[in-house]
Amino acid sequence: MTPNESPSADSVQEKPSQCQAQPAAADPSAPGLKTSRRGFLKAGGALSMSSLMGTAALMVQSDDAAAAVEWAEHFQKNYRLMTDAEKAEARARLERRYSSEYGKKVTVDTTGPQPGMLMGYALNIRKCIGCRRCVHACVEENNQSRGERAGEKIEWIQVLRMERGEFSKDKMNQGYPEGLGIQVGGNAYTPAGQVLEGQYHYEPQAVPEKDATYMPIACMQCEKPPCVKVCPVRTTYREADGPVVIDYNWCIGCRMCMGACPYWARRINLTTPVLPKEEMNPVTHYLGNRPRMRGVVEKCHWCLQRSRQGRYPACVEVCPVGARKFGNLLDPESEVSLILARKNVFRLKAELNTFPKFFYFYD
Amino acid sequence: MILAFCCGMMTSAVAQEQKAAAQAPTAQAPQETVCFESRKGASEVTKRDLKPGWPNVKCSPKTGAALWYGDPYDGTVPMGKMPGLDKIPEGHAVVKPRSGNLAVLPLCGTACHNGVGPKFSPPTLPKSKKPVPIPTMEGLLPDAKDLQHGRGRIWCLDCHHTAKRNMLVDNYGDPVSIDQPQLLCGKCHGDKMRDWRDGIHGKRIGEFASTGKKRWFTCTECHNPHNVQDGARNKGFVQLAPEAPPQLPKGMKDAKHERVHGIAH
Repeated sequence: MTPNESPSADSVQEKPSQCQAQPAAADPSAPGLKTSRRGFLKAGGALSMSSLMGTAALMVQSDDAAAAVEWAEHFQKNYRLMTDAEKAEARARLERRYSSEYGKKVTVDTTGPQPGMLMGYALNIRKCIGCRRCVHACVEENNQSRGERAGEKIEWIQVLRMERGEFSKDKMNQGYPEGLGIQVGGNAYTPAGQVLEGQYHYEPQAVPEKDATYMPIACMQCEKPPCVKVCPVRTTYREADGPVVIDYNWCIGCRMCMGACPYWARRINLTTPVLPKEEMNPVTHYLGNRPRMRGVVEKCHWCLQRSRQGRYPACVEVCPVGARKFGNLLDPESEVSLILARKNVFRLKAELNTFPKFFYFYD
Repeated sequence: MILAFCCGMMTSAVAQEQKAAAQAPTAQAPQETVCFESRKGASEVTKRDLKPGWPNVKCSPKTGAALWYGDPYDGTVPMGKMPGLDKIPEGHAVVKPRSGNLAVLPLCGTACHNGVGPKFSPPTLPKSKKPVPIPTMEGLLPDAKDLQHGRGRIWCLDCHHTAKRNMLVDNYGDPVSIDQPQLLCGKCHGDKMRDWRDGIHGKRIGEFASTGKKRWFTCTECHNPHNVQDGARNKGFVQLAPEAPPQLPKGMKDAKHERVHGIAH
């Protein structure tokens, strides 16, 4: 998928929106000049829709292109409620803005879900060597903030290193767990083996380490996502082909979803994202990897800009051991379907009834 | 004497791999970024721009590993016939040939294993399955007589073709290209072969649809056939240097907190 090969038109399958009006609860009714969305919403108020639109029309006609874009963004609907025309407008606006901002031709894809597609993911937990290549591939692909200061470095995938519980002879007489650990065998007098809760910041000379297993964790794209339940502005939702996505423009940064997610999958841009021009990936999707603004939540979306075009997500492509598998769950011949049919599969925290479409398996 | 020559193939292949790994840093000097793909020394990509600002690959500055593919089919050729792959359209399964990286490979069959020697003409086939010491071969591959693949149960000519030493042996004893090792490896590792064919074992990049065009990573791109047990975990994959860890929490100097407190959610 190269910039020129990305689609130039909206998907035909995209259903035209039935609801043309904004939901009453999320009706931004008073304009505030040069304000953030939060301040804008805070202003609350009395102005009617007609006067609002009048103001917007005035502002759009102003000379300041950036201001016009910002205003248009303030008045755009929730992505799910946009008509195809409005989506095309938003797309053109964003492409113009990103292209000038990053000094290269940026495409913003708005391809919708295709019929007959339900994306699924499987990860071979026995194969993972904890090399973190997926983590960094994700950053290369998805335009995360990559600054040095606190909160400026965002990674969607976490690789958890877990010590192997072992009932070996030399571990048999080990005392109580070092720091905070879980005693996995023996009894109070003869504890045997321990498992630390896990480490994210491990940094050995070489991986895999003999006494460790690794468990990469990212968004599980739940069928019943708790984050979607709690979102007060309904900006995060499950797409018809599986992934749970975020319309960044409608995110108010309340972080309810971060608290609700049992998989620690969501990240917030506390600071203005640091994204160098030369490192920016110009092939983007509206609901995927387009550059985010400050104060919005982001997370893995299975590389929507790639997977909607039929390509593997970036993390799948770089995994050196081939532990990561991606495919269409509705296709019985796909890798993931065959894994579900043949291998031992589990889902993380299945007891929470979130029904992830991300499966861990082992040979 | 001939028996010992058999190890030549193996030796040269290994030597070349080591050579390629050693060359990687020197190749970086003249403004050229070369990164390794799966395991170090098996296959490499040279970074170049497909379009302005759109590289074919992005490499990790820390470890030199390929981190991102702009074009997954870069430098690939059709994989060739394989049983059980009927559903995939012609040309939708491609591989990146490794034989180009093994510089000595074309020489194997012509320079030494050409069937012409002082003691044997016409060529005769080895009578026993024990490698015989030959200084050249042992210099190239010290472990030739102690092959760990199969724990001493197989030897050179179980995999390398008897008459065409730069080719491998398939199920029927016929020579196959060194770029199609799956036809050889699947003879013993049938379960892995089946999983690999179905995409469960191993790595494929490109289009994820089951009939889509994919670049398949062959057996030897991930496993070193002469030393499969390499790696501290004895899992068939060599150890690698990991990429950089995530950012430490604000105010933390090191990651000791992970051993004391539970993971912050």
